[in-house]
This record gives sequence, structure tokens and C-alpha cells, in this order.
Amino acid sequence: MLVVALVVLALYWPIMYLVNIPAAQRALDTGAALPCKTAFECASQLRSPVLPSPQQLWDGFLSLMFPLNSPNAIPLNAAVTALETLVGLLLAAAVGLFFAVGMVASRAFERALLPWIVASQTVPIIAIAPMLVVVLGQYGVQGWLPKAIIAAYIAFFPITIGVAKGLQSPDPLALDLFRTYNASPWQTYLRLRLPASVPYLFTALKVAMTAALIGAIVAEISTISFQGIGKMLAENSRASDVVAMWVIMFASAALGILLVAAVGWLERLLTPWRQAQVAPRSKAPPARQEVRA
Amino acid sequence: MKGWGLLTTGFALQIAFIVRWWEESEVAPLGLRLSIGLGVLLSAVGLAQVAGRLAHTRNPLLGFTPAALTLLALLVAAEALLRAYQVPPGLVPTPTRVLATLYTVRDVLLQDAYQTVLKEALVGYLIGCSLGVLTAFLVSRYLFLERGFLPYATLFSSIPIVALAPVLVKMVGIDWPSKAAICAITVYFPVVVNTFRGLTEVSPISLDLMRSYAASEMQQYRWLRLPNALPFIFNALKLGTTLAMIGAIVGEFFGANGQGLGFRIQIEAGRFGFDIVWAAIIVASAAGIVWYGLVTWVERRLTGWHVSFRRG
Amino acid sequence: MVFPNGTVALKEANLEVAPGEFISLIGPSGCGKTTLLRLLADLIKPTAGTIYIGGKTPEEARKARAYGYVFQAPTLMEWRTVLANVMLPLEIMGFPPAERKARAERMLELVGLERFARHYPWQLSGGMQQRVSIARALAFDPHLLFMDEPFGALDEITRENLNLELLRLWRETGKTVIFVTHSIPEAVFLSTRIVVMTPRPGKIEAIIPVDLPQPRSFETRELPEFFRLATEVREALRRGHGYEVAE
Repeated sequence: MLVVALVVLALYWPIMYLVNIPAAQRALDTGAALPCKTAFECASQLRSPVLPSPQQLWDGFLSLMFPLNSPNAIPLNAAVTALETLVGLLLAAAVGLFFAVGMVASRAFERALLPWIVASQTVPIIAIAPMLVVVLGQYGVQGWLPKAIIAAYIAFFPITIGVAKGLQSPDPLALDLFRTYNASPWQTYLRLRLPASVPYLFTALKVAMTAALIGAIVAEISTISFQGIGKMLAENSRASDVVAMWVIMFASAALGILLVAAVGWLERLLTPWRQAQVAPRSKAPPARQEVRA
Repeated sequence: MKGWGLLTTGFALQIAFIVRWWEESEVAPLGLRLSIGLGVLLSAVGLAQVAGRLAHTRNPLLGFTPAALTLLALLVAAEALLRAYQVPPGLVPTPTRVLATLYTVRDVLLQDAYQTVLKEALVGYLIGCSLGVLTAFLVSRYLFLERGFLPYATLFSSIPIVALAPVLVKMVGIDWPSKAAICAITVYFPVVVNTFRGLTEVSPISLDLMRSYAASEMQQYRWLRLPNALPFIFNALKLGTTLAMIGAIVGEFFGANGQGLGFRIQIEAGRFGFDIVWAAIIVASAAGIVWYGLVTWVERRLTGWHVSFRRG
Repeated sequence: MVFPNGTVALKEANLEVAPGEFISLIGPSGCGKTTLLRLLADLIKPTAGTIYIGGKTPEEARKARAYGYVFQAPTLMEWRTVLANVMLPLEIMGFPPAERKARAERMLELVGLERFARHYPWQLSGGMQQRVSIARALAFDPHLLFMDEPFGALDEITRENLNLELLRLWRETGKTVIFVTHSIPEAVFLSTRIVVMTPRPGKIEAIIPVDLPQPRSFETRELPEFFRLATEVREALRRGHGYEVAE
């Protein structure tokens, strides 16, 4: 893994020069005010490079990271986006759990809703975000809450499907066992179906977390926001600050990885029985069937 | 047929109101609003009864009836309630208005769909999928690639693609290839991961069988690994249709050449043209569903032997 | 017993069991022995006929929690430790917490797994898992024990050891056991009576009393009487097969 990272890094310089030199030549030809003379020299200092040079990325990183508490720096904005994402995910989990329990408990409920839940997986839900922001804003829901709602709206589908699958995962023999105990439906849910669905819930949460993050960022982009990664993206996109956009891209990638890793950590904490279990891969709940928005 | 009676009565109440209030521009009086409420309640109870009755039918048409009725009930209720409270159409358009708009602006939307679906999403999808399958073949063949490359592919699935979009749009330009690039990248990684799993999660006994036939490595791929991988690949291909649509639409939020469904949604949402936004969403959804259906159809033809098709 | 699709799974099954007996139901796959056990346990309902368990219908018996059931697979809850798995029925039946723990620990001692109380199921071998599931079935002290091919998935050596252990449990607890198997030596070794069943439609072909001396041990399998009984069971099974061919 490390070797590949090093190879990519080593290849980055030549490729960067290769793609930037023509752009630099053009910039020199038009007589733009540049602090460099040859195209080779300019290739690593362009204001809108095709690929920014490592030096530019590092400088951009420093200027966007510090001061840590600045409203225009990444840490504060990332925190706001993370908050929206997490609140959204909690909302999504609550709604998803409700739908999943409803579908498993009542076949009629499933028949009426499941086709639309499946169809919605094939629909680019993200398209609704810009409109939802405006509509919610009209009714006084402003600030970070509408973003959280949109995040939840995008994230609840994978959770619904995942938990429904999990609730139906117990072995028929285990259900028979509870019948021999004359267990009430409530006891069967609490002691069998819910614990059995926990691994499925976490698999779904990881997918939903990315979906929620995307929802939050898109919501920030498509509205007047004062904070958040999406707002930084939109601002720098308008200002055509290419280097900053690269830095923000890496930052949001890091944020996504961090949030998903947090779910993984929570999973290990809450499902100790799966730890160190060398489960055959096919036994684990299917990870990549749900839609990742 | 108690459920059907309630359902019809509920619908009749609401539709009667919609017809009565078609031309009005005031909030409906309390009596009428109560009758709508009653209509919604009746249709909901009726729907629950009908769905309960059809819960265990084996006929696919009857099985789908509750779902179709649910959609119809939601649309009728939305239409009646929006008209009763005179919600400004600039904010939440009624379903009939959306349908009317869909018809009026169909030419523009079809052009948008051509740009977004056929050029951006489809081209990106095809590139991403073929590169993905190819990569997976190489990765499954060479161990050092598996160690070096696969962890990144898994990691990449937790990155929000929207952050990638503005950079790519700036890099490749605002015309359609930038969006195709976004789609290709978003589709690529799930395809790699899934195909790899399919190619490598072969039962050891089958591999032994191949070895006992003295099958060459090519033959092993042709007769064992590839068939085994097909269900996995199709899972990724189905997932990819949605990812490609989302990639194209989100990509257009960051710059487009005045065309495309995402561009249309972004622009019209900004100027409160929500009937057009909804119409565009309907077109995007229809395209997404048709595309997904096509992939599923191919999947059925190619992997009809798989367990997931065995029932029914 | 007739399934909704018209398949007759069981026909003419008359059987009376006295308290403290160890009854084996033996027969080829599809002869209805599992169906019979599930009927007794009220996991399915009979289409005709009557079953009484200590004067109660199967449903009443199930609601009174009169029996413990051991399935083909251990069906342990993978998120519970071994001890917590044994406590599961006690929790559901509302035993006080202190008693749950005491009982579960006693049961684990009975099956010789007290050292593994804090382990998770996946850390145990198949045979150990099935012992946990027996401990779980005994935890609430039912008079009846239904066992549906509990050792079917285990290797021969483990199975013989568990057979011995099961007999010890049976002697110490005095339970009535109804045991489904398709192994002739297992049936002969364990039972006080063997019910031989034949398929299509499932019916009882013969009831063979087993009067091998108690307590039984590894040597029991070498007695001439053991071979005589095994042959008798085998011939009864073959007669059932002939019935099918004649049809």
C-alpha cells in the first residue's frame, strides 16, 4: 500500500509539469504578469493550474487551515458540516428504523411502500436538494437544520433497506426457539431481531454516512450558507481559486474517511462478539448492495 | 370489498373538491377543508384494508396494486391540500401543474436529458465500468496490485464525490466531458471492488477441480472466475447507474454550458420555478429507472442461474 | 398431518410415552419424524388427531413452557456469551436475575462448560456449541426434552462422547426425552424404546423396546444384544422401504 502511494507521489511531479507547461506557455504568450520567466518555471506557479504543484498545495493547505478558529478556515467549516451530517444521520436512523420495523411487521405496509423505496434507489435524489433548501427556508427552517434534514433525506434509504434485511436475518430455527419459549413478539424483537440486525445497521450506516455528507455539502452549495465545506467549495469555485478547491477536496475526503472510520470504531465498540471473528466473507452482510449517493 | 368502498369515497371527496376549487384563489372554508381531511382519512383507511387484503397474493399485478394506490393517494391528497390552503405554486406546485409544465417544456427537458443522460452519464458510466472491470482483472491476477491498490479503492468509497466535482469541472472545462469524467470516477471504484470480490471469492474446491482438468489460467478465468463474478459485477453496474446520474447532476451544479438536467434544476430552483424543477426530477427519475431496468434485464439474461432469481 | 399442498406427511401415528422414558424416532429422510416432533412442540398444527402432553394439548404445553427443544443446529445468539445464551429462556420467562445466573452456571457445570461461560459462541467447537444449546434447553427445568437430530452435524467421535454425556444428563435429571435421529447405533445406544418410521406417507412401522442394561457405557456397543437390536431396527426400516417399492 505504501509503495503505491510513493509511486503515485513520484509520478506526480513529471505529470504535473507535463500538463501544466502548455498552460504556462499560453499564460506567458498572453503576457500575463507572472513571477517567472520560462514555461518550466511557471508550470509550478500558475494561478489556475491543471494540476497544482505540491508546493502550491502545501501553501494552500497552510493558508486554509490557520488560524484554526477563523470562520474562513477549514477546521471550523468542516466541524459545521460534520455536525449537519451527524444530526442528519441520527434523523435518518430514526426514520429508517421506523420504516424497517413497519415493513418487517406488516406485509401490507411493505407491499405499499417497498416498490417506491426500491425505485427511489434508482432516482438521483440529490436533485431535490436545491429545491428543498429553498422551500424549507420559506417556512423559517434555516441555518444548519435544513442541511441536516436533506442529509437525513438522502441517507435514510440505505438504512431502511439494511435494517429491514437485518431484522429478517435470524435463522428460522432461532424463531422456532423463541416460539418454544412462548416469547411475546416484543421479546422476540428485543432479544432476537434487533440484536441480529445490528451488524446490518452498521454496514448501512457506513454507506449512509457518505450519503449524508454528500447531502449536507450539496445543501450548503445550493443555498446561501455562511459556514460549511460546501460554502467554501462554492465560494472558491466562483472565485476560480483552483488550488483552494484542491485543498478543500482533500479536506472533505479526509472528513468522509474520518466519519466512516468513526462508525467503524463505534461498531467495534458495540459488537464485541464480532471482534477477531474470522468470519467467512459471505457471512457478513452484503456491503455494497445499497445505493451510495 | 369494504376497503375499496372507503378508498373510492375518499378519492371522490378529494377529487370533487379539486374540481370545485380549480379556479378559486382563496383558502377554502373550514367545511370544505374538513371534507378533504375526511377524504384523506377514508382513503388512508381504505388503502390499509386493501393492502392488507392483497398482502399475500402471488399475482404480480395485484401485488403491485397497493403501491400504485399509495402513489395515487399521495398525489390526490397533495393536490387537494395544496389547493385548499392556496400554497403559492412558486413554492410547492400541485401535481397537475407539474404534469402540465412537464408537457409544456418537454422539448427543453428532452434536450437536457440528452445532454445529461446520454452524453455525460452514459459515456462516463461506460468508461468507468470498463476501466473498473479491467483493473479488477489485473488486481486479481497480480498480488502486489491487490496489496497496493485495493485499500485505496475501498477508502475512496467514503469520499464525498461532490468535492471532486468543482475541481474536475475546472480542470476539464464546463462542457460535457468534465461531467463524464466525474461519472467515470464515481462508477469506477465500486466496480473495481465488486468485480475483484467476484473474481477472488471462488470456492477452493472449484479451483481444485479446474486444476485437476489442467486448465490454463485463461481457461480458469473464462470458465470459473468470470461466471462467478458476474452477479457481483452486475450489483456494481446497477449501483453505478444511480451513481452516474448523481455524478452528472451534481457536476452540472458547478458549471455547465447552459444545458443539462442538473443545470436546469439549479437555475430554476434559484428563481422559484419549482414546477420545472419537479418536471426535471421526473425526467431524471424516469431515465434512472429505465436505465436500471435495462441493466437488470441484461443481468437476468446472463446470470439467470443465480440464487437471487430462483424464487417465484 | 396434511400439508396445505396435499402432501401427507404423517399418517397413523399412535404412540404413548411414559414419564422418564428415552424415546428415539428413527427413519430415513422425509419420513415425518421431525414433523412429529414439531407437532408435539406446537411449532405446527395437526390437521387431524389429538396429542396430549401430561394431559395438555401441545399449545397449552408450550404456553406452560413444559418442554425444552434442541434443534439440529445450536442456534446460539452470536451476540451473547455462552452464559448469557443459557440465561436467555430464563430472561424471557421472567426468572429473577440472581436465580438466572445461578441456574445458568449450574447448567454449564452439568454439561462441563463452566470454564467457557464468558466466551462467545464462535470461539467454541460445534460439539461444545451443541452442549450449550442442551444446557439452554434444560435451564428452565422442563420435564420434557425434545431433541431433533442434535448431533447430526458432528463427527462420529464427538457424537459418541456426547451420547454418553446425554445419557448421564438423562439419568441425573430424570427427564423424558424424545430424540430424533437417523443413526441406528445412536438410537439403540440411547433409547429405552425406538420408534421406527417409514416415509410416504409417514407412519410408524414398529416400536422396539430396548432393554440394554443401565447405565450404558462404551462397552454397551459391544454386547451381542446391541447387535441384535440394531439388526431388528435395520430390518424394520427395510420393511418400510419394501412397502414403498410395492406401491
